[in-house]
Amino acid sequence: MLPAGCSRRLVAELRDALDACAERQRQLERSLRVSRRLLQTWEPAETPAAEPTPEPETDEEAPPPAGTPSPQDLRELELLTQALEKAVRVRKGVSKAGERHRALSLKSAATSRATTASAPPLASGQAVRGASETKPPRGVQQTTVPARGLPECRLPSVGDRTRMGRGASTTKPRPALRDQQIPPSAAPRAPEAFTLKEKGSLLKLPMAYRKAASQNSRLWAQLSSPQTSDSKDAASVAKTQFLQKMKTTSGWPGSGLAAAEVEAEAGLLRKACSLMRRRMEEVLSTDPADRMQEYHALLTLEGLQVTAGQCLHRLQELRAAVAGQQLGPWPEGRCCRASVPCGGRADPTWSPQLLLYSNPEELQSLAVLGLRVAMLDQQIHLQKVLMADLLPLVGAREPPGPPWLALCRAVHSLLCEGGERFLTILRDEPAD
Amino acid sequence: MGRGLGRGRGRRRGGRGHAVGALPEAIAALSQTLPAGPSPEIFRRAKFDRPEAAPALWQLLFRVLSPPPAAGARASPALGAQVRLVKSALCSQGYPRRVLAQLPEDGSQGSRELLLALAWLLARGPLLEHLLAQTRVWLGDEIPLCQYEALASPGPPAPCQEADGPVDIRHLQWLVGKLRFRWRDLITSQQEQCALLSKIHSYTRGCHSDRSLGHLSVAETELLRDPEGGRQLLQRLESENARLEAALEWRRQELVFWRWMDTVLGSCPPEASPATFLPRDPASGPGELELAARELHGLHEELRAAVEPRRAAWEAKAGGWGPEWSTAQRATQEAVGRDLAALQRAWDQGGAPARPHRPCRLVKRDAGAVEGPGLRAAELTGALRIRESRLETALGRLQTRCRQELARLAGAEPGLIWILPPVAEGPRACPAGGAPALTP
Repeated sequence: MLPAGCSRRLVAELRDALDACAERQRQLERSLRVSRRLLQTWEPAETPAAEPTPEPETDEEAPPPAGTPSPQDLRELELLTQALEKAVRVRKGVSKAGERHRALSLKSAATSRATTASAPPLASGQAVRGASETKPPRGVQQTTVPARGLPECRLPSVGDRTRMGRGASTTKPRPALRDQQIPPSAAPRAPEAFTLKEKGSLLKLPMAYRKAASQNSRLWAQLSSPQTSDSKDAASVAKTQFLQKMKTTSGWPGSGLAAAEVEAEAGLLRKACSLMRRRMEEVLSTDPADRMQEYHALLTLEGLQVTAGQCLHRLQELRAAVAGQQLGPWPEGRCCRASVPCGGRADPTWSPQLLLYSNPEELQSLAVLGLRVAMLDQQIHLQKVLMADLLPLVGAREPPGPPWLALCRAVHSLLCEGGERFLTILRDEPAD
Repeated sequence: MGRGLGRGRGRRRGGRGHAVGALPEAIAALSQTLPAGPSPEIFRRAKFDRPEAAPALWQLLFRVLSPPPAAGARASPALGAQVRLVKSALCSQGYPRRVLAQLPEDGSQGSRELLLALAWLLARGPLLEHLLAQTRVWLGDEIPLCQYEALASPGPPAPCQEADGPVDIRHLQWLVGKLRFRWRDLITSQQEQCALLSKIHSYTRGCHSDRSLGHLSVAETELLRDPEGGRQLLQRLESENARLEAALEWRRQELVFWRWMDTVLGSCPPEASPATFLPRDPASGPGELELAARELHGLHEELRAAVEPRRAAWEAKAGGWGPEWSTAQRATQEAVGRDLAALQRAWDQGGAPARPHRPCRLVKRDAGAVEGPGLRAAELTGALRIRESRLETALGRLQTRCRQELARLAGAEPGLIWILPPVAEGPRACPAGGAPALTP
């Protein structure tokens, strides 16, 4: 077992890493759900009264549910509806004009035995075929296609479905109709199943959205444009004065360093360390070819040593400031690191740039590369953290004996092989 | 918008050198720009340190200082927890007044101090712009390229899981394996998402009113598919527009606010005797400072170990090199000086990442028609590949160092043979204690 402090730190780091991944995965899955749904057939949504979908006359031009109607379309819709009703009446031999709504779906035959002559209005009940029905006039539609009133006389493709449905419905001699909730004001709509693939290029964004979006980008641009007016300068002066006053009225004897600033500077020192180390390893790995290069290498190493010394000195200063308890209560955990940015790493108000790609492979490789870079960043961070805690444990040789060997093996695997491979330790018994 | 509230009340007297009566507008603009901004009345009450204004201000500061909750995240914590977090965050950022730390945790007092704290945050940086950007409505499609954000701030602070005791190292191995699998999943999902995006972009070509974009994004297509969702998106856009206009109005008026804040500060009693602070909890983890210390010490040692023999060898060879040597010597010194200065600049510049964090909207365009502004995916890919290989090398170097270190530690243990796992270049083994090496 690992010591408590070490365990807690390492488990916390790994859990952070896992949580970051999980969060990213959740967001991605949300986007995936949306995208997948967009690429399937669209169900015509329950449109509000303001935007009824005009009844398409032909197969090919089903407009999207958010299209705008025209009075002529509405009139045609009415006419068509009446024609449908008449056709149904004729077909059924029922005189009463009852059915205005028609829907198709597969339904258990057991509930469809009733043989009322007059079909009641179908706002909510079930329309039932009379006993005189000799053939199921309604095809059975697949459930993936949204069920709406589809006059079977109208469209060849619907007819196909009807025929298909007929085939399927032989096992159910009396498919019943189950009506759907259709707002009484709207006539039965029967747009063709809308797929993005076929009709995506016909879409049009609503005007309200376009206006809002363009105003949005205009306002952001205004917000992020550099201000040069006098009022801006006066305001900055006023702000600086205010900050100064806040400091002086507090009577704070502090060193002027905030804990967050200390952490930030420590991060910079680490970055400095890794850059220097990289240069050092470059120098050490090449053999000097001549005296000049030898001298160059020597000077470089000495220069790095001096710089490292300076960094260490700065570190001592930071440590002293921390130890002097002049920084105030320490933040709990690591939670507050990423809140308000100090000094604007990135300008948050920039308008988005365009990222142009020309084929899906290009996009995929870019995205995967982005993830790989993030993963490597995380791995390097975890590697450093694990090294800092685990190597001393191995060095301390504790617990002694076989448990230590197991520890060595595990640490080697974690630190040297990314946890993917293991070494083997054999006891070298002298042959007696 | 942002006007008229409180007009006729609370007007500052003239003589400020600025428009009389602009203060209510300024405060109203501020209140509208802030997320969950309290009403202007709260601001006015806070100047007089009225207790009823305190909870709203605690909540405002909590909202400002903690990362915004993701969609459908947990409800905001109780007021006491919010108070603690606000105190902690402000102190860690260097808030200069200690009165704040002494305010009671039930959130019932201190509205004037909180008002000062808000003003302090506003004065230090582009707080409002940052807050607006946090909740910005994105209409385009993106892929994750700004990794630092994604990983540096893993969401709202999880409660410290202090309950865990010491763990076995196998638990760590398990966690590491789990992490590997999660990354694999992530990469696969991302690939699928890219394929779907590409299709959607192709299918909606020519629909967008903005010619430079050409096709719709997922959000835009979704609003067409689902009018209800589209209405909500529109609402969010419109309310963001209202906040943006309030922010612009604030900019015009803020001078008055600062003058007013001066009077608020002036009306505070002078600070009492210094409060005591908790020392830093050593169990709370190494922190950047400790990690930096370890790494720098290690580096310094290695450099010393590398330099001493080389300098000794050089001195031993000195002499008899002729006059042209000294010019060459000086040239080398200067070159090394420049080199190291450039290196130092690389980290002195505040560690800003080379890649701009500017958000990118994906646009699919035929390969032939790639003119106009915008980043090209191919170029970004190239740059990322370079970065990837640098990181891989860095990781490899770290792993090699560990190997050497472990070999050194294990080497002291006699009578054991360590057989390393096979690697691509071929199997190696690391002898220990002089025992003969075996290869698998």
